Amino acid sequence: MSLTVIDRRSLLAGTIAYVGAAPLRSALGAEASDVAFVSAARRVDGDYCVLLLGSDGSILREVPLSGRGHDIAIHKQTGRVVVFARRPGTFAVAFELTTRAAPTVFTADIGRHFYGHGTFSQDGRLLYASENDIAGERGVIGIYDVARGYKKIGEHPTYGVGPHEILLHSDGKTLVVANGGLDTIPDAGRTNLNVDRMEPSLVFVDARSGELLTKHDMTGDLRFLSIRHIAEDAAGRIWFGGQWEGATSETPQLIGSAGRNREIRLIAPRGADMVDLKGYIGSMAVSANGRVIAASAPKAGHVLYLESETGRIIAHSSLKDVCGIAAFGEGDFAVSSGFGVIRHETPFARLIAEAELHDIAFDNHLRRSA
Amino acid sequence: MLMLSILALITHAAGSGAAEPSGYNAMVRSALNKHIIPHFEVLKAASDPLAEAVGNVCSTGGEAAEKVLADRFQDAVRAYAQVDFLRFGPMLEGGRRERLSFWPDPRGFLPRQLRLILVSKDEAVLQPGAIGKQSVAVQGLTALEALVQDTEVRLGPGEPARFRCALAQSIAANVAEVAGELVDEWEKPGGWKDKMLHPGPDNDTYKSGSEPAVEIVKALLVGLSLTADLQLKPQIDPKIKLSPPYQRSGLQKIYYAASVASLHQLYETLQLEDHLKPNKLWMKNWLKGAWRTIEASDGAGGRSPTAERDDAPTVRETFDKMNSLRSLVSNHLAAAAGLTVGFNELDGD
Repeated sequence: MSLTVIDRRSLLAGTIAYVGAAPLRSALGAEASDVAFVSAARRVDGDYCVLLLGSDGSILREVPLSGRGHDIAIHKQTGRVVVFARRPGTFAVAFELTTRAAPTVFTADIGRHFYGHGTFSQDGRLLYASENDIAGERGVIGIYDVARGYKKIGEHPTYGVGPHEILLHSDGKTLVVANGGLDTIPDAGRTNLNVDRMEPSLVFVDARSGELLTKHDMTGDLRFLSIRHIAEDAAGRIWFGGQWEGATSETPQLIGSAGRNREIRLIAPRGADMVDLKGYIGSMAVSANGRVIAASAPKAGHVLYLESETGRIIAHSSLKDVCGIAAFGEGDFAVSSGFGVIRHETPFARLIAEAELHDIAFDNHLRRSA
Repeated sequence: MLMLSILALITHAAGSGAAEPSGYNAMVRSALNKHIIPHFEVLKAASDPLAEAVGNVCSTGGEAAEKVLADRFQDAVRAYAQVDFLRFGPMLEGGRRERLSFWPDPRGFLPRQLRLILVSKDEAVLQPGAIGKQSVAVQGLTALEALVQDTEVRLGPGEPARFRCALAQSIAANVAEVAGELVDEWEKPGGWKDKMLHPGPDNDTYKSGSEPAVEIVKALLVGLSLTADLQLKPQIDPKIKLSPPYQRSGLQKIYYAASVASLHQLYETLQLEDHLKPNKLWMKNWLKGAWRTIEASDGAGGRSPTAERDDAPTVRETFDKMNSLRSLVSNHLAAAAGLTVGFNELDGD
């Protein structure tokens, strides 16, 4: 079975940890341009890393991490990559897909921690990261100058607490922030300190001035829906997936959309389209053509595919502990799981191909690099 | 369009030791009947006398009444520590966990909220059920501790403590009420016990037979993490500023002992070791030793009075053992039982 090829390459990659000077592609016969996906991961020995994967799921390069990573910001034009520590971590590791330079490690300022997500400016000169102003009990967007070794040069408020994923809108000048509403501080680990007072929101912020452009508050029956992950469709709508912090019996739809001038709308599946998502969406992605939204629900082991124009559910696929999702080709998706499985499937949930990397647990997010 | 070049259909077959669906049901039933529900009943029983004990201190004062209150409070804290990690179902709903015990509180939210109430002396807060509508921080055992341990204005007869006493009684009554709700939500017909024992397509939470069992294994893993990260780690990482639970009452060691005793009992109840394959039976001895170390510690660098070993494990050793044990349970024991808990599903982000 072809799987043995993957196993051999994985083993090779695993035994030759990336040290910055010698990319594994020479050993594997792969080029940097072969890198199709990037994901944080954990190896079976408990070590954490970032994996650069080929389109067949094979490991082309591995960057070790000192702790658990989360999401990855990629600037495709320059090949810049930054992986962020998982909440409430304080490290970030930057490297490039196309050079042999050693990774740059930078940390959140004293009194700040990362929330695991970030995004580059359109020209790739700035990096924006979702952060916690611990003493101020508020979210901030940290602004880093790439050319100065990711030196922090400023902050914008997120106009909320507990920002999670942020993305740069396709207009190139607006940052969209998912304020989860949950307050955490490193001293108390990952304990949410304010569930009874949480105020989640989806905000649009001027990337240059930091001015608040639009804020959608989750109120009423949705006040316990912590917005965590977002993606933008071809029409510029922002799709979000949340984590429900209220009673199980009162769980609302976890997926919805909104815009600068468009109120929040939750999806409204009917009949057979209803899928139990177990209160948590772990990742959101949009197809390359912008017409299909994917939402992963790792606790339920499902990926839900929706038509972005109508919000109609197209299909759902099933894979235990699935979480990472990324566009693949024009309209398909790659999905990854905590059990080392990486798949290529269509929005109709048709499995095209699947590989399993033994001894690897893929973390929440899978990013397309090309 | 790029295509995956490799097609490999992976079958996630559980090992030969994996439990059958009926086995999962037996495992869940055992955990419910021998551990989970009895511990919530103990919490209710320990909470019920609190208000009267507070009332006696406030009406008569005196060391005897204070001693009774201290004993009752200790019983309630011990009982709470034994269920703190069962963070699913009724504990998760309605913020009941935070309402019972607001810890950790690194932002000092409890003292701020309590001070506001004490300064305002708003009698409306003292009306039956009113405290249950206040911030969760002032509703539970941690708030009661703050009032009982406040040496500036001690609880007792007389006008200076009148409002405080009434507030403390309201809080104690609220703790009993929430504990009662928990028992009711677990035990009532169609309650959470029934939900866990009868998974299926019509069950709004548990569809397959393994899901309730995975829920309980996850609680065990969460409990090991919470104990290691919140009770032990602050003692070995000087950067972490976090007070131990119920430190003002001097109950942090009792809290630790109750936490690990309950975790160990749940572990034994699940009988996960029975699913290990013959080539992994060596783990049993290691696991036994790990529990012995964890229980030999008093959670603060000393030796537990019930320790089975002569020396006191250091906090570092205890912390490391707990994390290793957690890893073994997650990656080997649960997996052997067919109860794999995913890397991403355990703790959402």
